[in-house]
Amino acid sequence: MSDYGTPPPPPPPPYTPDYYSSGAGGAPPPNYLVWAILSTVLCCLPLGVVSIVFAAQVNSKWAAGDVAGAREASNKAKNFAMWSAIAGVVAGILWLVFVVALGSFGSSSMSNGY
Amino acid sequence: MTTVVPQRPAPPVVARGYGALRVPGLVLAAAVAATSVVATVDPNQPGHYPTCPFLAVTGYYCPGCGSLRALHDLAHGDVVGALARNPLMVLATSGLLVAFVLWTRRRWRGLPRTWAAPASVLYGLLALVLAFWVLRNVPGWTWLSPA
Repeated sequence: MSDYGTPPPPPPPPYTPDYYSSGAGGAPPPNYLVWAILSTVLCCLPLGVVSIVFAAQVNSKWAAGDVAGAREASNKAKNFAMWSAIAGVVAGILWLVFVVALGSFGSSSMSNGY
Repeated sequence: MTTVVPQRPAPPVVARGYGALRVPGLVLAAAVAATSVVATVDPNQPGHYPTCPFLAVTGYYCPGCGSLRALHDLAHGDVVGALARNPLMVLATSGLLVAFVLWTRRRWRGLPRTWAAPASVLYGLLALVLAFWVLRNVPGWTWLSPA
């Protein structure tokens, strides 16, 4: 196709809109609101409420033009969502261990829940 | 040797079409699997699922208490029953469904998210959750409680 001596292709033009870096018209950083809602309603751990606060911070800082602040809040939201998911799984495993231990001691009947 | 011209990195390739639907497909499969489990293993029977840790420790309902039974009711088409268990759960399920459809459509078209909800809406959601949390624990005022 290209012979020796053909000029190199021109550098790609700056792509617009610049979705992934910043600024007006770009993509807002993810606020992980779905994870916040999932942990609020499903994990029933109060951590979900904190995740909602972080999600709101992402959007308010983004709307105010504070891109760096929005990114930072987005990271916090991500970490928090991750840790509340881990906490939920750990709590579930602990519960399982607890129930198995109770079962082996012959006790029973957990009621009233969830 | 030619001089190396520093070029800006290529724009990230956003998958679109069927390839982009793999992740939504996995999410959908997980949701269907979880719903099927909750629909068949009845959360109204004690001992089938863990008691909410917040309820077990404090004795108070959290905003998520009753959500398994609400999902069980929803899976059986009993919207009224689901609302009686946990109205927030019904609201959240509807919201998550809408979010899922929009997200899948965006991935299909290979478009990034360009819209962010006003922060006031999210703070409103926060206030709603907190109010719900308090009100469902008001003694003798059981219409928001999961019992």
